[in-house]
Amino acid sequence: MFKKVLVANRGEIAVRIIRACRELGIATVAVYSEVDRHGLHVRYADEAYLLGGPTAKESYLRGDKILEIAKQSGADAIHPGYGFLAEREDFAAKCAEMKIGFIGPKPSSIAAMGDKAKARSTLIKAGVPVVPGTEDVGNLTDDDLLRVAPTIGFPLLIKATAGGGGKGMREVQTLEEMPGLLSSARREAESSFGDGNVYLEKLVEGARHIEIQILADAFGNVIHLGERECSLQRRHQKLVEEAPSPFLDEDLRQRMGGLAVRVAKAVDYLNAGTIEFLVDKDKNYYFLEMNTRLQVEHPITEMVTGVDIVAEQLRIARGRQLSYKQDEIRLSGHAIECRINAEDPYQDFMPSTGTITHCLLPTGPGVRVDTGVYPGFEITPYYDPLIAKLIVWGETRAQAILRMRRALEEYRIIGVRTNIPFHQTLMDSPRFMGGQYDTRFVEERFSIGETLLDRPAHAEIAAILATLAAHQATERSTQVVRRGERDTSNWKWVGRWERMHR
Amino acid sequence: MKYIATIDEKEYEVEVIDERHVRVGDRLLAVDLVTVSGQPVYSLIVNGSSYEAYVQPVDEVWQVLLRGRLYPAKVEDEREKRLRAAAGSQVSETGEYMLRAPMPGLIVAVPVEDGQKVSRGDVLVILESMKMQNELKAPRDGVVGRIRVHAGDSVEQKKTLLSVL
Repeated sequence: MFKKVLVANRGEIAVRIIRACRELGIATVAVYSEVDRHGLHVRYADEAYLLGGPTAKESYLRGDKILEIAKQSGADAIHPGYGFLAEREDFAAKCAEMKIGFIGPKPSSIAAMGDKAKARSTLIKAGVPVVPGTEDVGNLTDDDLLRVAPTIGFPLLIKATAGGGGKGMREVQTLEEMPGLLSSARREAESSFGDGNVYLEKLVEGARHIEIQILADAFGNVIHLGERECSLQRRHQKLVEEAPSPFLDEDLRQRMGGLAVRVAKAVDYLNAGTIEFLVDKDKNYYFLEMNTRLQVEHPITEMVTGVDIVAEQLRIARGRQLSYKQDEIRLSGHAIECRINAEDPYQDFMPSTGTITHCLLPTGPGVRVDTGVYPGFEITPYYDPLIAKLIVWGETRAQAILRMRRALEEYRIIGVRTNIPFHQTLMDSPRFMGGQYDTRFVEERFSIGETLLDRPAHAEIAAILATLAAHQATERSTQVVRRGERDTSNWKWVGRWERMHR
Repeated sequence: MKYIATIDEKEYEVEVIDERHVRVGDRLLAVDLVTVSGQPVYSLIVNGSSYEAYVQPVDEVWQVLLRGRLYPAKVEDEREKRLRAAAGSQVSETGEYMLRAPMPGLIVAVPVEDGQKVSRGDVLVILESMKMQNELKAPRDGVVGRIRVHAGDSVEQKKTLLSVL
């Protein structure tokens, strides 16, 4: 049982966790970097302590300092959120050493899933299908890999064993180009993770990225909460997620869910986790990796199941049983999440920084916004560009899409550029509406400009808007000039004018 | 005052008659334009139809973001338009182009050297911001000069990084 939780994160996810704690009557401790003094998580928490400089290394990655603050403030548990310290086995182990609860899995499970090659071999032994590839654990040399490659078949992927976020990943079409790609993948993995080990995996073409949310308590109960469809990505970063997947039927959902539960049990899993699968055109599914933490996109599962995942995490960490049994989990309706990033979709998704001067959130039926920003808050270049998650629920997928369109148009953020227009174009795309997309869709078959020209009426309105704004700007500037021409102050001028007319 | 707004190479003649009326082509329209809380968000009512849009000047263009679409509009009054026509189309292809940092960040690499010839689309600087590496590319052919940054430098937004002549 604990009474005070330290939230070792920032932004929308820190706010999300603080909200759950507040509802449960648990006190909260926020930590922040020098540039996050104005962060919403700092304002919402019961206590707040400065970590250090603006970079993650000086602040949110300072495990030692965070543990010290936890001790001093009397927090009995730490919620790591996602990113930063969430999947650091050593940090989870230190928490245990210092008798501070870690709201997440055991260090051994983080380790078992953190090394992708080790995770593969563990699961192959447990009878879980994985994407065909190098089955051997350990440090394979380039010669070994080049020998094995033809038996896997091309195209294939080189992946970093310590990998994540697409770093150290290369697509290989032929054996000839493989040596060069191997060395560049190793270089990137070495600089990103300090570990240049790689392995090979067959490239599944036309694949969809579908993941299963699981919850596991300390009594051996493991349940799944259905799937999330996460195929809409750009540069291996998810942009839009939906639940349930338009590609899965009930039979496949139950089979994949059951498998996810088995995966969790194979590593003696505790708390919330996500098992990612690749699903090919013929509905064959392969284990991809397990994320041993709360996911960015967890709200869509909450919307369709009614389960408060963060509250369940706290409950599990407090040593209690899950509130639900598998047969009590029912999916209802459809949920979609759009990740609102401070990026300019018209300039190759260039990050956009600045102070948010005005903000109008969409509300109304079926709309949820998880965000950490507000007018006056500055978006700095130090952290990831996610500023909000817009989540909608509808009785059907069609209703959810219509609702998302409505909500995106209502959302006004001024001060930074956002990718809202990208999402609006996507929601209008016939392929998206038809559920016809895979992990390559955004990069290869979608363009934000493509539907621009079929709306001439709006181009005319835009012309009127631009002209009136330009006209007002010119009027203002000429008035400024006129004022300057007068060499006496306006008050003196008014006085003289009044005397003249007496 | 008569203006010509150009969007996607299509020209719209918009005459501002007074604060409440414009003429587009030969149609007279009643308009009512207000800004929302003094921000670059405008609410426009045209003959009873209500629109809301972001309208911001960026470089020489007014960017109008309306119902999820971006319309870059070049707005000129008739005099400017005539002047430009007289000057010919030799704009922007000459003169020195100054590459400025589009956002604050860390210089990861400068893969070009002083005096190096570059073509349009060549990477000039790699700038890291928000955990993403961004390639800043040459907008046209030219020769690189005045390199003012090195790998490892932190730069503020709009800092001049180098030039292309």
